[in-house]
Amino acid sequence: MQKQAIIAGVGESDYFVRGRATQTEFQLCCTAIRNAAADAGIDIADIDGFVSYNDQRNDPLRLARALGIKNLRWSSQSWAGGGNNAAAAVQMADAAVSAGYAENVVAFRALAQGQFGRFGQARGSGRTMDGDMAWKAPYGLLSPAQECALHSARFMHDHGISQEALCDISMACYANAQRNPRATRYGKPLTREKYHASRWIVEPFHLYDCCPENDGASAVVVSRAERARDLRSKPARILAAAQGLGPMYGSSAFQPRWLGRMYYDNVGETLWERAGVGPDDVDVAQFYENFTGPVLISLCEMGFCKPDEVEAFVSNGALEGPDARFPFNTSGGNIGEAYIHGFELIVEATRQLRGESTCQVADAELSLVVSGPGYAPGSALLLAKD
Amino acid sequence: MARHLGDDWVLPTLDDWNRPWFTSGKIVAQACEDCGAFQQPPDEICGNCQGTNVVFRDCSGEGTVESVAVVHQAVHPWLADAVPYAVVVVSLDGAPGVSVIGNVLNREPNDVRIGQRVRATFEEFPYPDGEGADGETLRIPQWEAV
Repeated sequence: MQKQAIIAGVGESDYFVRGRATQTEFQLCCTAIRNAAADAGIDIADIDGFVSYNDQRNDPLRLARALGIKNLRWSSQSWAGGGNNAAAAVQMADAAVSAGYAENVVAFRALAQGQFGRFGQARGSGRTMDGDMAWKAPYGLLSPAQECALHSARFMHDHGISQEALCDISMACYANAQRNPRATRYGKPLTREKYHASRWIVEPFHLYDCCPENDGASAVVVSRAERARDLRSKPARILAAAQGLGPMYGSSAFQPRWLGRMYYDNVGETLWERAGVGPDDVDVAQFYENFTGPVLISLCEMGFCKPDEVEAFVSNGALEGPDARFPFNTSGGNIGEAYIHGFELIVEATRQLRGESTCQVADAELSLVVSGPGYAPGSALLLAKD
Repeated sequence: MARHLGDDWVLPTLDDWNRPWFTSGKIVAQACEDCGAFQQPPDEICGNCQGTNVVFRDCSGEGTVESVAVVHQAVHPWLADAVPYAVVVVSLDGAPGVSVIGNVLNREPNDVRIGQRVRATFEEFPYPDGEGADGETLRIPQWEAV
């Protein structure tokens, strides 16, 4: 039953600097879903499923009422931190559609942090913190940036990777965002000097190693492949998707044998086997970059290069522009376009197969999304031109 | 003793699985009596053999810095005076495969390196009233470079 589903339509709200959204989070969410249905040419009432990830606040029942859904046949969500399961949301939509449980399933993410407070922000006025945080917070380890910094520092130490490799990731995202008028960093180019002069957030991350926080929503409609001829827009075929988890959870991720790893090798193994292709076959890739360092780890674990080669792999503009040696984060990614918890990367991966990117890779046939790493479990998605 | 990140900074909520670490005044790690594997954080079941005979064992109190991140941006207002500070991952001698989060108290943040050998020290602090374990004393493990 696999390889039956397509991304039939994509939709976005406007993207805003955190706290400056002109609509509520729920309104942004409905806007993105309506746009995705309209893009596909599917009546919104015929959407019959919703999938999201990581404690999505906009629940399917409220959405169904607001959007006039006739019959909600499918709703699901994955457990995971951060944006790591953006691709997993599409995977679950694929599973529902390919198995025939639903016909038009929307996978989405929406956030308005001005309305709800900052995601991942340390909170609390109490004197104590419990559970896994009890092992970390008393020592000042609180934020995703700090946790990713510990993994990145060890990875860089073990493989002789310099700060320049982190700079290269950020430079590529900013360079590609300058081609994308929708990007929140459009018109704000980055130089290596500006990168190195920026303040430290947590070493080895400068300010420009960290993606900004944004408000907005993005969504895709997943439908059965045979609908393709009826659609308004060019579909993208879901060739494979994968979730993966190593034996790590919370602070257990810092045990010596797992430090500096993200277990994306597990995700890659599943993805490449299911797709029947390998890293060398990919024409364009979108990598989730909450912070630059983990991108280096995921590039290696997904099989694009060895850790000792990764600095050379990303250097000398190798990731910048449509003619890059490795076309990467062509919309600007989380860092340059907007951070919609990585779901905006799925929209861009689809655009590449339609020939609609502002940084269009010529004849792109295989388009990859790696939704992490950062926190396990991770996920990835491989789309093919229909 | 004064706490490294300030006496107002948050404390652990004590439970059955972290009480030995935060109150015993010793460096301990959870081990499985059935298979001998160590694990961190402690849990109700051994992740290696799924046995439930999990116990706490004393370690030597020494270890090695496995990673370090120097925090410059305070992510909570109560840490404004504490930055910059270094967060470290320390592997524990005598508990193979186990490491913990901590701070190195006797070095400037940028002088803490991966591979640095460290010895435990303890921040003694009363458990706050009304948090469910009144009268207990916290002995929060910390580290000094040797």
